[in-house]
Amino acid sequence: MAEKKLDILVILRECSDPRPPVRLMAKGAGIRDRGLRCLTNPADLEALEHALELRDAGVARVTAVAVGPKSLEDSLRLALAMGAERAIRVWNGVLAGGDAVAGAHLWQRVYAILRPDLVLTGNRLLDGGSDPAPALAAARQDLGCVSAALSLLVKDQEVEILRKGDRGSRQKIVAQLPCAILCEAGFKEPRYPALEAVVTATTQALETWGLEDLSLPEWEVGALGAALDQGEFATPRPDPLRSTTPDPSLPAFERILALLSGGIQPREGKMHFLPPDEVVESLMEIFQSEGLLPEAKT
Amino acid sequence: MMFEYLFSPIKLGQVELKNRISFQPHLTNFAEHCMPSERHMYYWGERAKGGAGLIITEEMSVHPTDTAYEKLVEAFHPEVIPGFRKITDYVHQYDAKIFCQLNHNGQQCDGSISRLPVWAPSPMPDVLFRETPKEMEPEDIEEVCRYFAKSAVHVREGGFDGVELQFGHSSLARQFLSPLTNFRSDEFGGSLENRMRAPLMFIEAVRKAVGKDFTLGIRLCADEMIPGGLDLGQIQEIGARFEASGLIDFMDLSIATFYNLYLVEGSMHTPLGYTIPLAAGMREKIKLPVFCTGRINDPVMAEKVLANGQSDMVGMCRALICDPFLPKKAFEGRLEDIRYCVGDNQGCIGRMGINRTLGCIQNPAVGLEKEWGEGTLKPAPVKKKVMVVGGGPAGLWAAKMAGRRGHQVDLHDRNENLGGQVLTAMKGAGRDEFGVIIRNEKDQVDKAGVRVHLQSRLTPEEILKANPDVVVVATGSQPKSHPVGGADGPAVFNVWQVLDGKPELGDKVCLIDYDGHHRASATAERLADLGKTVHIITSSLFVGAELGPTQDLYLTRQRLLQKGVTFTPDIAVMEVGGEAGQKEIKGFNVYSNQWQTWGPFDSIVLAMGQQVDADLYFALKGKVKELYRIGDCVAPRKVDMAIWEGHKTGRSI
Repeated sequence: MAEKKLDILVILRECSDPRPPVRLMAKGAGIRDRGLRCLTNPADLEALEHALELRDAGVARVTAVAVGPKSLEDSLRLALAMGAERAIRVWNGVLAGGDAVAGAHLWQRVYAILRPDLVLTGNRLLDGGSDPAPALAAARQDLGCVSAALSLLVKDQEVEILRKGDRGSRQKIVAQLPCAILCEAGFKEPRYPALEAVVTATTQALETWGLEDLSLPEWEVGALGAALDQGEFATPRPDPLRSTTPDPSLPAFERILALLSGGIQPREGKMHFLPPDEVVESLMEIFQSEGLLPEAKT
Repeated sequence: MMFEYLFSPIKLGQVELKNRISFQPHLTNFAEHCMPSERHMYYWGERAKGGAGLIITEEMSVHPTDTAYEKLVEAFHPEVIPGFRKITDYVHQYDAKIFCQLNHNGQQCDGSISRLPVWAPSPMPDVLFRETPKEMEPEDIEEVCRYFAKSAVHVREGGFDGVELQFGHSSLARQFLSPLTNFRSDEFGGSLENRMRAPLMFIEAVRKAVGKDFTLGIRLCADEMIPGGLDLGQIQEIGARFEASGLIDFMDLSIATFYNLYLVEGSMHTPLGYTIPLAAGMREKIKLPVFCTGRINDPVMAEKVLANGQSDMVGMCRALICDPFLPKKAFEGRLEDIRYCVGDNQGCIGRMGINRTLGCIQNPAVGLEKEWGEGTLKPAPVKKKVMVVGGGPAGLWAAKMAGRRGHQVDLHDRNENLGGQVLTAMKGAGRDEFGVIIRNEKDQVDKAGVRVHLQSRLTPEEILKANPDVVVVATGSQPKSHPVGGADGPAVFNVWQVLDGKPELGDKVCLIDYDGHHRASATAERLADLGKTVHIITSSLFVGAELGPTQDLYLTRQRLLQKGVTFTPDIAVMEVGGEAGQKEIKGFNVYSNQWQTWGPFDSIVLAMGQQVDADLYFALKGKVKELYRIGDCVAPRKVDMAIWEGHKTGRSI
């Protein structure tokens, strides 16, 4: 048994519940967030379970961290009820609308401040998206990162990880601590917290960190710090199909007939076979009769 | 998603719409004492509930001299604001946007309602109202500007998301723009710049009143379709200049004027989407969002128009009167549930034109959304065994509504197909779309859990033996068996026989028209299409006397003339005589009382009215627990009343 306890940081994220039908906004504008049910990402909970098992073995301390608005406190209190020692929620209004790069910048600060021996989180988000920010942050912080972990075994300053490979293959990897491990979902049942623990967790103090706690300027995170500009969804305005409109040179009655015939037919082309010296004159005549040229002044 | 473009959002000015479907402005006659009413609120609310992205209200009057119709909302009174608020609050709860249309009808007004002179750019009477207007003085124009601005403020205060100024088929602004109606020699007439001056003043006044952030658009007439009027090329130029003013956010389009009103509200004989080429022509020149309206009754067609870049918004008017939930059904991919408009015009334009409230032959709930709208159908407290006899429109609707309320319904029809007389009527020339009325309902009847029994001729005894709780008799009507002396003679047929293609007709056919409706004229046209020489004798002043309100008269007459049909009006036919090939008609002129004989004809076709087919009703009367008699078997009328009665009965069983 290690003398010093491992500091484990578990990242909890929220995702939308894919089971109830979502209400779509008009095409292209995404999902309506009003009334949308959110839950803690199951893979993250499994990562927490991995961490808590190490804690139960007496070798680790577990800190749960979430970035997001007050609604994420539910996830953090669940972590506390399950057995995490410390829970931190990081939020500031300007954090909304960031991309993975901005997210990684933030997580790097969190890693740098907490200096965990092990970062655990889910490999994928339930609602289909992968969130590369924890892994990117690990790279920035010079931590190793192992994805798709099924189980882990901590030995002294190393951790032995069983990874999921292609087509059911498995791979065993040994990583040096500190490192980040992304756990695959569906291989571990997160514990069901005792009622007493849940009740206790409701009154337990949660730490709330703002940007000043991370000593990050506003312009480096959120939408301002994003490498990608967030575009608005909109359907492109299609170019007009070259359509035949009623020929204005026709009398009104003919124009009406053209409209009512169910479609306006383009006028038929004509072929003229002429010797070269007559071509120009005949063209001018045609242009004039079609109203394409102003009448010659007399 | 089936309709990628149709359900994509679009921004008109500062307002973002959730989809491209606009419920276009049209008269409703729901106003009470020239104020917005509760019926307006439920009527527009129902379309908002149905998923339309935008609703544009009916035209609202901006000035006391603008009294084109008796029941116009007078938006220049501040008293309209509370009513507006109710309407806009109700519509907004369904995530739809609502714009208000403001209009001054100019010469296209009736001074006998307001007892004020009609105002117009020049003293040219309108072809429909035929009232010589007062030539507007510059002060009058300024007054209209002020009233436009004042009304626009009321619109904004009333909670609307935007305002549309009617510069289209029926408007003072168009009368200023068009050389057809503007003969002024001052700064408001002559060159295009001068003709545009007054309309631009209206726009400027409204923009100044509502502020920069409020959506403001105009509705232009894309082509007046009349010699000497504006054509697409000129309107493109006018539209481009309005756009260049930078004061407007969108451009809605209409077509034609009152010279050719049948183009404004194209009936069943006009092709679907007949205005698309004009909208496309405008869209080529205009960068602002352009609307396309005109018999687009189908989301598939609407999607195509948008995908082709022929317009940015699709205006649906009658399509949403007929089925308010078309957008929602299209969004959910339930195309088979859509009740498609057939452009019959009897219920909507046919009623509006004669100062009645708006209706729809296929949707009895129009204007009665509070009582009959979506969500008002309650399950029946007692589930009954209902037997509906007759699968025409009345029977179908009665069965559908009763089935939806949980009754156990059996629908019996003696024919091979459901539809009753509609199946025959749709065989008239150009009336094929009429059959859609039945196609729309067939699936719904099945979905309502109704058991349909075709080719089932029930005797009263069989019905009594089955012991139903309720019997609905909807056995319809048939042509009168003996409407005139000699009608039982050889080579005399009625309209239904002819449309069903049963009789052998000779080459020279005479049709006696006491009907004045499609029953006569569409039959005559079909006979002409078959190569017959057709002569029509009618007691009315002209053939097609009933076709005026539905805007079918002009084109019907045009086609009949083109096909060589000849007419004799004013004649009361008293006797049909002679042998086949030598038929003669005797009658007298109802005005001069002169007797005359026409002939010889090979065959005679009678369109001389219907008689009820109610034997079953009288056989059952007093013998069943509940007995209803609906549709033509009460009194032969038109399809709107059949559906109305079927709907009402099905709800009340």
